Amino acid sequence: MLAQLREIVGHHNVTTEASDLEHFGQDWTRFFKPAPMAIIFPKNTEQVVQIVKLANQQKLALVPSGGRTGLSGGAVAERGELVVSFDKMNQVLSFDETDRTVTVQAGVITANLQTLAMSKGLYYPVDFASSGSSQIGGNIATNAGGIKVLRYGLSRDWVAGLTVVTGAGEHLQLNQGLVKNATGYDLRHLFIGSEGTLGLITEATIRLTRSPPTLKVVLLAVPAMTDTISILRTFDDRVDLSAFEFFSDQALDHVIRHNSIPLPFAVRASYYVLLEYEVKATPDDVAALDAFESCVTAGWVVDGIVGESEQQNRSLWKYRESISESITRHMPYKNDVAVRVSQVPGFLAQVQEKVESAYPEFEIIWFGHIGDGNLHLNILKPESWSAVAFKKECELVSEQIMSIVAAYQGSVSAEHGVGLLKKEQLHFSRSPEEIEIMVRLKDVFDPNGIMNPGKLLPGIS
Amino acid sequence: MKVLVAAKRVVDYNVNIRVLSDNTGVDLNNVKMSLNPFDEIAIEEAVRLREAGTAEEVIVVSVGTSACQEQIRTALALGADRGILVETDEDMQPLAIAKVLKAIVDKEQPSLVIAGKQAIDGDNSQTGQMLAALAGLGQATFASQLVMGDGEATVTREVDGGAETITVKLPAILTTDLRLNEPRYASLPNIMKAKKKPIDVYTPEDLGVDVTPRVKTLKVEPPASRKAGIIVESVEELVDKLRNEAKVIS
Repeated sequence: MLAQLREIVGHHNVTTEASDLEHFGQDWTRFFKPAPMAIIFPKNTEQVVQIVKLANQQKLALVPSGGRTGLSGGAVAERGELVVSFDKMNQVLSFDETDRTVTVQAGVITANLQTLAMSKGLYYPVDFASSGSSQIGGNIATNAGGIKVLRYGLSRDWVAGLTVVTGAGEHLQLNQGLVKNATGYDLRHLFIGSEGTLGLITEATIRLTRSPPTLKVVLLAVPAMTDTISILRTFDDRVDLSAFEFFSDQALDHVIRHNSIPLPFAVRASYYVLLEYEVKATPDDVAALDAFESCVTAGWVVDGIVGESEQQNRSLWKYRESISESITRHMPYKNDVAVRVSQVPGFLAQVQEKVESAYPEFEIIWFGHIGDGNLHLNILKPESWSAVAFKKECELVSEQIMSIVAAYQGSVSAEHGVGLLKKEQLHFSRSPEEIEIMVRLKDVFDPNGIMNPGKLLPGIS
Repeated sequence: MKVLVAAKRVVDYNVNIRVLSDNTGVDLNNVKMSLNPFDEIAIEEAVRLREAGTAEEVIVVSVGTSACQEQIRTALALGADRGILVETDEDMQPLAIAKVLKAIVDKEQPSLVIAGKQAIDGDNSQTGQMLAALAGLGQATFASQLVMGDGEATVTREVDGGAETITVKLPAILTTDLRLNEPRYASLPNIMKAKKKPIDVYTPEDLGVDVTPRVKTLKVEPPASRKAGIIVESVEELVDKLRNEAKVIS
């Protein structure tokens, strides 16, 4: 089998080294033990087609692997699967100035696409803390969101075309960069967010947009979490927000210790809001100050600072963006839930009450893209707990949190995907009929069930 | 004690500079402008002197178009007490700025003038030194530490291969290096208060200064672009290229 794989991609592009198996066999989740049979590095779509055809003949399970920055175990190979890494499919294929699109192989790193766009005087607005490692293919397969969703939407909104290889080995070109295309089912959108369960995304045509105007970054000190949506409304009424994030003082504490950076305020608050707005003219700054004044008068905000240079903007973003990284060593159990923005205050209050009574001995880190109704609730593992016991305990309370999510008709995974970690919770967000249809759809694209088996859909392995 | 701080409006440090296609300068259209980072350090140092009670008043001065008010307001929000804008649309070169600052020094009689060691646009590192010469005052350039004494200041300077500590008699000119301090963020409550702080506006003519440019820019070109790297297939190929192409090993 290895010999056949090497024949497809060349001797150097298949590895079974123990360190490679561990490295490429998992994402950022640390609850699973990677155990793939081998890692293969195709260089183009044609090679991917051959790999998938061989896998079908041999009934070999495939796990796609991009930047492996996922947080739900979607790229984990723990049962002898073949990992298909896109690290060597990192070429930019074409750029069209008039269409404002760029066609890339799936392994192009997000930050490189952003840099490429900038060099053309354009902008790729999907951005998140892991943009230096995550790859376009993985972003699309998980419909990644991030910190600019409020203004620019999700990965889905920027995909103008896809080249995919289905689980049956069919090579499809979907939508091919068209703006308008009313010709029936848009299979492109089925692959976006499919987490590798239907096939492999090998190339993507990505829309770019014009560069944003000057951005100002503001950090606010906020006493009560439930006021964040009032603050959002106050600013949103007056300025064009491009980000609206929140985090707790405990989260800040981890960030300043991890990065050795100073506290942003002389007096600490319980929560902080980081917002970013567009400045097209001086009146925008006046409007932002007016919003700040209103929030202070209402008692929602006690202090605020603003970046006066791009350098300071970046330093302010660091308080928010390095939260995940700064708590990774505590093996956080991550809840990534969303409700409608209007429901956030009531939802937060109920969840807070639940976790405080359910997890008295655990440290809870609150943060999230609260302007999108998206909350990242992270529970840190105490030193004395084993990983297994900790995960089990978290799952118990998670069920209760997810019941609250279900009551609010929210999502059990706002942007982290389902993978291995959330599949048993899928039923809190999707009806049995919906899940049944998803299973049947998978069957159409992947009749032998070789594409990332055991992920996303409950009860299938 | 009065402290005068110079603040220049420059292209933001993190902006990718683009040279105009006719090679007459850099493209400033829709480019983010900020305070010169070294001047931010100068303002921070002055504000710290004010907070420590060493200085009674911090005056911030900027020379340039009316847009420089934005940078003066930032300095006022950071803690300066009042601002002076010397407004001109002329291309301001270091000597002209030094002459304008000299006129302001004559007017305000500060005990200490703090400026950035250079502005990140022209990278000239001349204004502070020329101001010292024009005003006949002592200078302590590239400061990484400032200790105020009685009628004098002890300054640690960043020099080639180490640090040098000197004392200067006041009044004196200080230019700041990166390690002097870490500038604070402007707080929104202070930005609101800063709206009420006064800014006096003069023209170079009001101050009797001729700001006609003395240096003519002939041509502006971007730096030569680097050749793209290649990935070699084997160690042998790498060694071969290092030996025969790069000629760095024999």
